[in-house]
Amino acid sequence: MNKKIHKNWLEWTVFGVSAVLIATVIGFLVFESATIGDALPDIQLHTGTPEARTGYFAVPLEVTNKGDQTAEGVHIEVVLRSGGKEERADLEIAFLPRRGAREAWVTFKADPRQGTLETRVLGYEKP
Amino acid sequence: MTSSVSNSLREYARGLAGGLMFSLPLLYTMEVWWAGFVAEPMRLLVYIVTVFLLLLGYNHYAGLHHDHCWSEVVIDSVEEMGLGLLLAAVMLFLLGQIELDHNAYEIVGKVTIEAMTVAIGISVGTSQLGSSEEGSKAAAEASAKSEVNFTGQAVIAMCGAVLFAANVAPTEEIIMIATESHIAKLVGIALLSLALTAMILYYIEFTGSRRLTRRDGVLSVIVGTVISYAVALVVSAAMLWFLGRFDEPALLTCVSQIVILGLAATLGASAGRLLLQ
Repeated sequence: MNKKIHKNWLEWTVFGVSAVLIATVIGFLVFESATIGDALPDIQLHTGTPEARTGYFAVPLEVTNKGDQTAEGVHIEVVLRSGGKEERADLEIAFLPRRGAREAWVTFKADPRQGTLETRVLGYEKP
Repeated sequence: MTSSVSNSLREYARGLAGGLMFSLPLLYTMEVWWAGFVAEPMRLLVYIVTVFLLLLGYNHYAGLHHDHCWSEVVIDSVEEMGLGLLLAAVMLFLLGQIELDHNAYEIVGKVTIEAMTVAIGISVGTSQLGSSEEGSKAAAEASAKSEVNFTGQAVIAMCGAVLFAANVAPTEEIIMIATESHIAKLVGIALLSLALTAMILYYIEFTGSRRLTRRDGVLSVIVGTVISYAVALVVSAAMLWFLGRFDEPALLTCVSQIVILGLAATLGASAGRLLLQ
């Protein structure tokens, strides 16, 4: 019944690599589905050190989603208060995957190093 | 017979060319990248298993090695899926869609979702893009062996439907058309789909249509058309479910989407089916 399979070394190599790849992907997905909860998106913001650019200042922003669900259209606002004045910047991130992170920058005319920065997530939706 | 290394290298290259040919639109579509990390791991697993079954079916009924035993069909399918994963990963990396600092789920999700259509493309490419003498010999052998094998034809029709429908299934346009279109127009789309299917299978003398369809009377035309369209609708529904388009409960929107995608799928289930063997 079972015919002998004849394969050359290349075919066995491709087969071996393929089998390992598939097993890895399936193993990973099984692990993920076993460990994943259904926590709603939990978005956290961290500002980095402001950098001077030509004519403005850029503040790096790290946006992390600690939740188990992806958030779409994440709208973020950053307010800079310095010398009694307020300057606002905002940005939108199309998709923030579960447990994923994105890097972004917001820019201001005033020097953020002279004031205080306040970040907040305005809203996001379920994809 | 063990084939030479250069021969099998050529066969893999042919498969890779086919894989790219059939799945390039998907690799270039952002909705597919997003679907990769939005889908839950369980859904991706179901998708992998489904595609693997399709590959087994396609390799069994239309594959290159006609002297196959099942273990050989399994080996071929594993290779095609593995090459699909590799090719999808390389392409997504070159297209800037996976970076090493992305989290693992995002990378695996994107690669997996793209790799499945690439794998079907590789399978089709390997068996269809061969040199003509080899191809015609295999075709003659195939037609002698299985005149019109129902299960075989259904499996190949499914592969055709997936390849065709996959190009439009993930786009926002499907849901947009579904929510905007009037019921009368949806009926129109369904009728057009049926007419196209009947025409391709029985009227316009499409390549292979004489050999691969049963033609004894009006009844067989109706049955054949309805079955093809049914396969197309099932494939559409499965793809839409997979892409999370049924998560909102409005039944009419779900049905509309199935009908709209069904037009593309039925082209694959009829014309695609005839071309893929």
